Amino acid sequence: MPSKGIEAAGLVREFKGGVLAVAGIDLHVAEGEIYGFLGPNGAGKSTTVHMLTTLLPPTAGRATVAGFDVVHEGPKVRKAIGAALQEAALDPILTGREHLRLQTALHALPREERKPRSDELLERVGLTGAADRKVRTYSGGMKRRLDLALALVHRPRMLFLDEPTTGLDVQSRSALWQEVARLAKEDGVTVFLTTQYLEEADVLCDRVGIIDQGKIVAEGSPAELKASIGRPTVDVVPADHEQRDRVSAVLAQFGELTQASPHGVAVLLSGDEFGLADVVRALDAEGLHVEHLQLHAPSLDDVFLAQTGRTLEGAEQEQQTELVP
Amino acid sequence: MTSDGFRSYRSVVLGVAWRTVHNALTTPNLVIPTLAFPFFFFLAFAGGLSQLSHLPGFHFPEGYTSFQFVFVMLQSAAFGGVFTGFGIARDFEYGFARRLMLAAPHRSALVVGYAVAAVIRWLVVAVLLTVAGFAVGMGVGGGGVELIGLYGLALIVNSAALLWSAGIAMRFRTIQAGPAMQMPVFLALFFAPVYVPLSLLSGWIHAVARGNPVTYFLEAGRSFVSGEAAYAGVAFGAAFALVAFFGLWALRGLHKAEAAGG
Repeated sequence: MPSKGIEAAGLVREFKGGVLAVAGIDLHVAEGEIYGFLGPNGAGKSTTVHMLTTLLPPTAGRATVAGFDVVHEGPKVRKAIGAALQEAALDPILTGREHLRLQTALHALPREERKPRSDELLERVGLTGAADRKVRTYSGGMKRRLDLALALVHRPRMLFLDEPTTGLDVQSRSALWQEVARLAKEDGVTVFLTTQYLEEADVLCDRVGIIDQGKIVAEGSPAELKASIGRPTVDVVPADHEQRDRVSAVLAQFGELTQASPHGVAVLLSGDEFGLADVVRALDAEGLHVEHLQLHAPSLDDVFLAQTGRTLEGAEQEQQTELVP
Repeated sequence: MTSDGFRSYRSVVLGVAWRTVHNALTTPNLVIPTLAFPFFFFLAFAGGLSQLSHLPGFHFPEGYTSFQFVFVMLQSAAFGGVFTGFGIARDFEYGFARRLMLAAPHRSALVVGYAVAAVIRWLVVAVLLTVAGFAVGMGVGGGGVELIGLYGLALIVNSAALLWSAGIAMRFRTIQAGPAMQMPVFLALFFAPVYVPLSLLSGWIHAVARGNPVTYFLEAGRSFVSGEAAYAGVAFGAAFALVAFFGLWALRGLHKAEAAGG
């Protein structure tokens, strides 16, 4: 029997011209879980969401959402889910309240429930005062909040959020995180969110899938993923850049040298036997002066680096370079 | 379909229709063309070309204003459908269609909703045109039943034009497909006996007009106004056939839009 969360096996989406956006994804998201899909632009996050929300049929593989097959039981899937996609699909001519009126009709809420539900959601996302303004006058953050309210109109069991905080200021981002966490904790809503922000995945998600070039390259809780990298890194930039080789020789005593900042040298500390103090003492003993020294605890970016050989930021830049002729 | 399914389907239809009509009637750059085209044609043709009624063989006792009123009524119905099709294309181009496709359990309800909106939008124009027609002394030989026949025929033409345009809009999903929606309808309307009866056309235009279903809509509509009800069977048969054909065309377009991701 399919789970009430999300199950996907070998999910593939190929576009015209042979572009493989999703190259065989297997997923298991439990009911009530907040699952983060982390990856750079163009990694296949949104295409995966479009397939899971029945907007786009998969080229191969199968998936069930809330226990229903996304290809053969589309209407049942759509009844069970709410979705706020990357570019808020809003009508600039309608007001916030009119959007809710339309959305309650699309989900066939009983007539007597429509207004109270709309008022409740406007209140919850802090748009009561702006409810009768046309959406073309809304800021980016207000549009995101309205989009979230619209996704919640029919009390869905599952919520898909495609880069919900992209372009939001810190305050709006934090408010949205709180609301998503509350939905999962208090209402038991399963949340599938895509993000390119490490912090968002780290703070909000129970589990994270890291996607790159259409494939999941790592999966687990943020703590598990970081533990898989295990050891901290010490990054040293010598005051005299000519002394890089001498610094490298010192750091090599403490572990495996790894990718560092420009002009710097970094070492992945081996085991628990060495700490930052040991490195400082060794550098001092060699009479080396440093411009910058940093202990770097493992992050999800390190997980991405370990799995793909690139940082998330670097992958972003590659994507942008590919897009610019 | 279960009663719950029917309630849901109807709710989507009404929601889409409400939003489309709301936008069409409250946004000046949408409402002005809807009203301006038929009134411009009515004034230009009925006023400027009225001397055509004195041509030998031109027999239409209710007068040239009534003769042109039927054309303008059918033209406004067809263009009402096309203009609603523009809105569908715009919804796809700007991503709003995704919201509709994500929420509607049965997506054919979206097409039906747009069709209902096209009818309501045209009814507003039809009422204003009728008032204007009577205000300028339009003669009507037929009774209430014949006039209902004219409005009924125009309504079916409106739905056929909407379904045609919807099929184009959902295949191309951009407002740039507007000319592809409008041009065939425009040509079909003007390769018909617009200014004089079919019997006064000659040469290739007569041959084209004879094979054009719009000719029979016009001839039937004019006969309703004059109280004769000629060509009614052919006209309604052709109109329903177009609705059935373009209905399938629109549903195929919807499947193409679904396959492309909305």
